[in-house]
Amino acid sequence: MAYALLALLVAPALAAVVSVFLPRWAVEALAVVVGGGSFAVAIILVGNPRVDALNGWLSVDALAVVFLLAVSFLYFLTMVFTIGYLRAEDQSTETWRRGRLLFVGLHLFCWAMLVAPLMSSLALLWVAIEVTTVVSALLVALDGTKRASEAAWKYVLIASMGLGIALLGTVVLYYAGSAVLGTHYDLFFTQVLRAAHRLPPQVVRLADVLAVVGFGTKVGWVPMHTWLPDAHSEAPTPVSTLLSGALLAVSFYAVLRYFEITERAVGAGFPRAVLLGFGLASLLLAALSVAGQRDVKRLLAYSSIEHMGILAVGMSFGATVAVAGVLLQVLGHAAAKGTSFFGAGTLLRRFGTKDLGRIKGAISLLPRSGPMLVLALLGLSGLPPFGIFRSELMIVEGGLLDPDGSAVVVVVVLVLLAFAGLLWTTGRALLSPAARPRPARASEPSRWMAGAMFLGLVGLAVLGVHPPEQLLVLLDHAARQLGAGR
Amino acid sequence: MSPGVLAAESGVGSFQSFSVALTVAVLLCEFAMLRAPLSRSQVRIYAVQSLLVSGLAADVAIARHIPDLFAIVGLSLVLKVVVIPLIVLRLISEAVVDLVPSHRLGVATMVLLGLVAAGIGLFVVGAVHVHSRTLPTASFGLSASAVLVAFLLVVLRADVVSQAVGFFALENAISVASLVVAAGLPLIVEVAFFFDLLVAVVVFGVLMRVHHRRTGTLSTSALDELRG
Amino acid sequence: MALSPVVIQAAQVLTVAVFAPFVSGVLAKIEALGQGRRGPRVLQPYYDLVKLLRKEILVPEPASWVFLVAPALAVACFLTVPILIPVLTSYPLPLGIMGDILAGGFVLSLGGFALALGSAETGSPYPQLGSSRAMTFGALIEPAILFVTFTVALTTGTDLPYAEGDAVRASLAQALSPAHVLVMVAFFLVVLNDTGRIPVETHASTLELGMIDEARTMEWSGPLLALVRFGSMVKQFVLYVILIDVFTAPWGLAGSRSPGAIGLAVVALIGKALAVGTVFTLIDNSFSKLRLFKLTEFMAAVFLLAVLAVMVDLAGLG
Repeated sequence: MAYALLALLVAPALAAVVSVFLPRWAVEALAVVVGGGSFAVAIILVGNPRVDALNGWLSVDALAVVFLLAVSFLYFLTMVFTIGYLRAEDQSTETWRRGRLLFVGLHLFCWAMLVAPLMSSLALLWVAIEVTTVVSALLVALDGTKRASEAAWKYVLIASMGLGIALLGTVVLYYAGSAVLGTHYDLFFTQVLRAAHRLPPQVVRLADVLAVVGFGTKVGWVPMHTWLPDAHSEAPTPVSTLLSGALLAVSFYAVLRYFEITERAVGAGFPRAVLLGFGLASLLLAALSVAGQRDVKRLLAYSSIEHMGILAVGMSFGATVAVAGVLLQVLGHAAAKGTSFFGAGTLLRRFGTKDLGRIKGAISLLPRSGPMLVLALLGLSGLPPFGIFRSELMIVEGGLLDPDGSAVVVVVVLVLLAFAGLLWTTGRALLSPAARPRPARASEPSRWMAGAMFLGLVGLAVLGVHPPEQLLVLLDHAARQLGAGR
Repeated sequence: MSPGVLAAESGVGSFQSFSVALTVAVLLCEFAMLRAPLSRSQVRIYAVQSLLVSGLAADVAIARHIPDLFAIVGLSLVLKVVVIPLIVLRLISEAVVDLVPSHRLGVATMVLLGLVAAGIGLFVVGAVHVHSRTLPTASFGLSASAVLVAFLLVVLRADVVSQAVGFFALENAISVASLVVAAGLPLIVEVAFFFDLLVAVVVFGVLMRVHHRRTGTLSTSALDELRG
Repeated sequence: MALSPVVIQAAQVLTVAVFAPFVSGVLAKIEALGQGRRGPRVLQPYYDLVKLLRKEILVPEPASWVFLVAPALAVACFLTVPILIPVLTSYPLPLGIMGDILAGGFVLSLGGFALALGSAETGSPYPQLGSSRAMTFGALIEPAILFVTFTVALTTGTDLPYAEGDAVRASLAQALSPAHVLVMVAFFLVVLNDTGRIPVETHASTLELGMIDEARTMEWSGPLLALVRFGSMVKQFVLYVILIDVFTAPWGLAGSRSPGAIGLAVVALIGKALAVGTVFTLIDNSFSKLRLFKLTEFMAAVFLLAVLAVMVDLAGLG
């Protein structure tokens, strides 16, 4: 099984390198193969989530596998989508030059995000996440417009400063561990966790706060979220998809690691309170901002902030069912947000604009992806039978176990508000009749794009209707590992 | 502490006060960056700051016998003192130099804000009980001050070079912090950090050029279309 | 033979009064040499003073008695300070504990205040300009001086200049401690400001855009002008002495009361003052003046150093 980890460590990087000089058809084929292969490896790991390799420097547990699943699923889908996304453009060599760059960048980006959960050492986890920042910042700027370069600059600056704080948190945690583990050790997560109850509590608290603020900048929690809507809306669509569905989740993974250690070292109250604060702030801001957006990708970006807020609040509830719900939500969000962004990208290709006010009758002009986008948005808003409905239900259920249910009430109200805002804003653009003067022919820009959306919807529906038994076991394991229920 | 006691342990004392003086100088460099009107001089101050950090690392390596640190000293001398400043200076000279001052506030106000930030770092973070084996414990508070002032640098200066240099200065400040509390960090991890910094520099450089191509200036005041 | 403390105390004042013009003369010479000029004779300030004393006094019409008294009051203030600070001896003299660093600062500013008042009396634009500028920037530099005092108080537990000098002499570690180095630099810059040196002011220049001190003296003439000039020389020397004997190099002071030791201390003091002064002239010759409205940046830098010194000391790193 160690080979599985090595494959994830090597294959995407290798794919990035060879994509530099392969012909177009081979680049496309390689993208699908490596993306699909990574997803397959992640699925294999679901059944056996305790593996390590390279003298323990690589390792996964149940928690890491959940995130590997989310990332590799989107990796696969995004690659399929990107093929269509590029084919729908004009076919000059100049565009393909950019397209090739996009493929290389996506491989590298996904590589960094797949490697992050594999890292045993919390220091290398930080390194991997910093790599995701620099790669994705370049990808955000890829379109070369003024707005894109502005968004990329904001993103790289804010995210790097945030990660600077996270690095400080890492260093402080190293210090906390050195009291028990000696001055030279590798900062392996398992080492620190084993020693957690002997760590100096005040220092661990400091490390936790620094890590939550630092990695939280990349998760997109309010008030560190300011880069997020800009980067999501100005990046090329495949990049937006990965930013929203995978990158935020991977950063959240890093926060969870610190959560676990802090919980063990100083008790659950402190880390939960920290997450509850950031979570509620994010939910509030996002729920209020969703309704006013005209740019479809910004809309989805605010919805991401909302979902990240739900994740944080869900963690703060602490009950096993809520934590399992949070992890399911990570998967559901990847599928739903991926599909929605694919839909947004299709709209962009079809109508040439992201402005919802100028898009009319999408559902009739896009015979396949139009309805799928509507379904994805419904799923994203938490309607049955999709995965997010199930996960949000679990989170709320977990919250109700808490004798003081006030946070749950706030969450439910805000989620409903965001739900109304999302459907109200997109509904007009999608469901209204097509503009009169120039009724265009109904057609899809690309079958590949619609295909990616279909796969995403299938994933979302499977999570909602009947999640595989093994997956539920995995989520339960991971939730218990996070110390929930104690 | 009476002067006599100080003199008696002047062996330890002078090492400690030397290292603290270096740390204070690192912090002062950031104030100088905050004020410096020209991007060029900011980059030079950054090189000086990196030199000070390398000196501190060498100091710790010698005084505490941590041979691993020498590799770090070498890397940081090559990368942070020479390579990165040269890259950034080159980028600046390719750009049309615009002397439009990018201070968002008057220098005196910035200094006052910086002092408040430094005070917060020194006394609030310093209040967390951190005991260092390598450097005076309160140095941790000083490095936290340097982190906060680096943030001010990014916030209060509206041009891409200042903001990038602010990020590099932040990294220097964290290096100091890690010298104080985590001097035993494994070499592989340190090297990974350095590699990462280099990649970050390249990306900052690329984006600076993109920015300059698109807007024709190094100022960020033109970046006002996207509002979070 | 041991001199009585009263005599030594008087000797401190006399040393300052007698040698202040000499120090100014030598520094003017060094500065001129640095600029490639031959420069005036070393004793030129004495000749100038004597010449001025022989001239008549002209009083502007709106001026009152304040205008006449101010120069003498200023000189008196400046010459009071050497009683309070270690000029020749490392041990405190009877009147030395009459006032602390703050008192010394107050007396110095009182002298400056008298001059400002006197020059504002004249009703002529330049002196008023100069006095208002001097007061403004004096107020801006004042907080920094306070924080310097705080640091001294934190390290020595008192704010007597003698105690600070003792602490520095006692251990090199103390002298090189970060807080003390910061204070030294801060006070160095304060002296730069108070003696009207670049980058604050081009001394002896009458360019109206930048002049501060020079503008104030314009309406005085004859013996009054001699007093004003003499006062500024004394002030400069006193500030040098504080910088040297309190903060940077309190070595070479007389440890006993024998006339030999005292005489040696006088020589050492003048040597050190000339060394410090040379540094100032070097700065003077190698930098350019800040524009007047940029002076706040200079003040901010001094303030920064002084406050950081206090913070570092409070955090236990001093």
